[in-house]
Amino acid sequence: MESNTNCRIGVYICMCGTNIAKMIDVESVAKFVSSVPNVVLAKTYKYMCSNPGQEMIVQDIKENHLNRVVVAACSPNMHERTFRSALRSAGLNQYLFEMANIREQCSWVHKDTEEATLKAKELINAAIKRVVYHEELESMSVAMCPNVLVIGGGIAGMTAALELADAGNLVYLVEKENHLGGNLARVDLTAPYLYSARDLLTERITRIMNHKQVQVFFESRLSGLTGFIGNFKATIGKLNGEPDNVTNQVEVEIGNVIVCTGFKEFDAARIVHYGYGKLPNVITSFELEKMIRAGRIITKEGKTPKYVAIIHCVGSRSQEFHTYCSRVCCMTALKYAHEIKSANPESYISDIYIDMHAFGKGHEDFYKRSSEAKTLFLMYEKDDRPVIHKASPKDDCEMLIEVNEKLSGELIEIPADLVVLMVGMEAREDSHDIARLVNISQDKDGWFIESHPKLEPVATTTDGIFIAGTCVAPKDIPDTVAQARAAAARVLARISKGKIEVDALFSEVIEDKCSGCRLCNQLCPYNAIEFDDVKKISHIISALCKGCGVCVAACPSAAIRGRHFTDQQVLAQVEGLFET
Amino acid sequence: MAIRVNPTFIDDLNRYGAEDVQLCYQCGDCSTVCPHADDMYIFPRKSMRFLQMGLEQKIETTLEPWLCYYCGQCSIQCPREADPGETMMSLRRWLISKYDFTGIARKFFKSRLTEVLTIITVAVITAVFLLFYGFSGGNLTIYDGKGAFLPSTFIHRFDLTIGGVLLIFLLTNAIHMWYLVMIKGTDFPVPWWIYIKQLYQLPWHFFTQKRYSECEKKQEHPVFMPWLIHLGLMFGYVTMLVLVMVFIEQLQAGPEIRWQVHIFGYLATIGLLTGTFYFIRNRIRKNYVQYKKSHGTDWVFVILLFYIVLTGILQHVFHRTGLNVAANITYVIHLMGVVPWLLRMPFSKWSHLIYRPLAMYFAEIRREAAARQASIIQTVPVLIK
Repeated sequence: MESNTNCRIGVYICMCGTNIAKMIDVESVAKFVSSVPNVVLAKTYKYMCSNPGQEMIVQDIKENHLNRVVVAACSPNMHERTFRSALRSAGLNQYLFEMANIREQCSWVHKDTEEATLKAKELINAAIKRVVYHEELESMSVAMCPNVLVIGGGIAGMTAALELADAGNLVYLVEKENHLGGNLARVDLTAPYLYSARDLLTERITRIMNHKQVQVFFESRLSGLTGFIGNFKATIGKLNGEPDNVTNQVEVEIGNVIVCTGFKEFDAARIVHYGYGKLPNVITSFELEKMIRAGRIITKEGKTPKYVAIIHCVGSRSQEFHTYCSRVCCMTALKYAHEIKSANPESYISDIYIDMHAFGKGHEDFYKRSSEAKTLFLMYEKDDRPVIHKASPKDDCEMLIEVNEKLSGELIEIPADLVVLMVGMEAREDSHDIARLVNISQDKDGWFIESHPKLEPVATTTDGIFIAGTCVAPKDIPDTVAQARAAAARVLARISKGKIEVDALFSEVIEDKCSGCRLCNQLCPYNAIEFDDVKKISHIISALCKGCGVCVAACPSAAIRGRHFTDQQVLAQVEGLFET
Repeated sequence: MAIRVNPTFIDDLNRYGAEDVQLCYQCGDCSTVCPHADDMYIFPRKSMRFLQMGLEQKIETTLEPWLCYYCGQCSIQCPREADPGETMMSLRRWLISKYDFTGIARKFFKSRLTEVLTIITVAVITAVFLLFYGFSGGNLTIYDGKGAFLPSTFIHRFDLTIGGVLLIFLLTNAIHMWYLVMIKGTDFPVPWWIYIKQLYQLPWHFFTQKRYSECEKKQEHPVFMPWLIHLGLMFGYVTMLVLVMVFIEQLQAGPEIRWQVHIFGYLATIGLLTGTFYFIRNRIRKNYVQYKKSHGTDWVFVILLFYIVLTGILQHVFHRTGLNVAANITYVIHLMGVVPWLLRMPFSKWSHLIYRPLAMYFAEIRREAAARQASIIQTVPVLIK
């Protein structure tokens, strides 16, 4: 470590075209900076982030033996990486660098040139004072265990497991039921191409059961997970009927986890005026699937229904229950229309919907085909749900469904002998337990949260934990499979690298000072602090630490040091702000 | 009170020609492109909707199908190929059978066999009757005057009898239409003076078919073509009807040509011949959207009319050239077409001659009465409360 007196700092003031220069007198700033102690040179340039700008830094480091660099330009979010890499290419440790944001936090937000220039001087001075105390830091790497834990044996879990196992990795697949297939195993045909769900599953199940690299735990669940990315230890327990009681616990070593726990269907009895549970011929979509798989679509009285009504959005898209769309019900309803009409061409099908969401490949064509088959589409207003009554004996139908039909503007009643409720998807009741076990978050509806909804759809905020399929949000089979393969690909990329790089910005416990109060253990949002039972002190797992600083602030003994955010560095920066 | 949906209705309408209405997803493109749809009469969209849902009690009281002249733009624009134009046509057929209390129209529209067999039966009965009459008192070699095979005084009485029957059916059907539209289907008061005030609508629409000409602006046809030709056909038809019903005795005299009467006959024949030829040709070629689909009754309509016009011309030529035997035989053949044609009128497409102008008349009455009602509600809110 060089002492402060040996610091040779280069300061670069960017004009950002006119973005900075039009509000800040950069020459005056440069002149001021030149007089600050330890500053060897201060330069202004049109675009510091350009190649010539970066080369200037590299050249100056070499020629003037600079050992610290400050760039006053835009936000570090924008170009900190750029300048750090310039330092690296000049052979200087990348952490001996500090950025002063004189664009977003100065030139863009001020109207007075004089004051803005003064503020820029203060910000740069603070950066100079801080950079003096910067240390050389090195990022570290940890080993990556190639075994993977997949939770859930539905189409998502099986797809991910096969993908990983085929690449030669050992996969532990945990399934709570005594068979594989998940919710898809309850379905007959799939929309819109009417492929058999059984055919989709059988091949996968057979391969998994015969795969040397897949170990399936039936009637089991994950009961504990410790460690961090690349080095997890998972406990898998056998379910024995009692919800919170598992036996025959097995511990396995894994590097990554893929959560594919799926969904459960909405409880139709919650919507009182649909009469589910009271009217015998009001059934849910899954009950109809059962009938179709058995080969007979009949009423409870054993008759072939002449009028069949299908009601969409049961539990979905409503203020009262779930506000989201369950995505698969529209096409599944059309599939039912098709299946019922094929089974009984004399039947009439009324499809009672809010909006027809035919967003996917082949969906719009499927919708049109349903129209061609004379499915009667009737639209109702969100939150003005249909009401199902028993018909009178003189009617030629079992039930009458009363609804304000939006497209005609009429209050109508629809004859029905069989009513199918398209129950939506909701998060499983045990999803909260899973979330707690693997340390991931859930949204207001209970779905697991991705680390970025657009750019990181299968990663979570916990490294090494991935999510795929309908435990993330309602989705159809192609999307589920795509996510499962995406998650597997992410895991495979890490396995093939063999180790995992850990950013140098993490906190560390100064062991001599730690009293073992364990305050930090509970506060850490990333579960990165463990307690060493032998030494009776806390220990930070650097691979899990994000360097947020909560423990640093909380430690009553000042025993935790945030690397690159030491007290000395931060205080010097604050002092620097008030010097000019 | 909720209206009962009837999912089976769409199958029934299939027989009237509405083959694609199930494809409609109510985007409303058809009503946007229609030159006649407005705030009060929203069609074809709403008519399509009522049909899909089988709201019979709504459709039987609507005027919208009659307000459409089938320019076919809606069918061209329809993103789902639901053919709104043909659907409106099929609704007109359905309404004709609805106004008809005998149920004959329904049978004719639904079964070509019934229709054609009925026409042939009536034609044979006509022939037997005329031949019996002719041979019992007349001479096949005499066409007019004393001893004529079919004397003009007899034909005149015969025409008037058939005309009377025709009129009774048409009038009762028109009254039925009025009841459905203005009583059952109108839920606001209609003062009698609006009926008087709007009376001019009847002759105006009957003789000008102005709304049809407005359709033209949207069409790909040569300008005014179907409108002018349809107008010519209609004028020819009405002229011929008047000639036959009133001036048959002057017409039948001869063999010299009486220009003061015959000139009307010739003009009417040109109108009829051009019209039938034009529509038959278009239906064969399917060259414009409104001729792409032809219901069986459409073919019977144009073919029977063409038959009558051709046999009429032949009979005229034989008579004027002194071939009395041929003229008398052609006369029987001609009447074998005319009698079923006239008797079929109230139960067929032809009846739109009456229903269309009536619909325009009722539509304007309703419009004015509705506006009056709205202004009453606006000006005396206290009374309403």
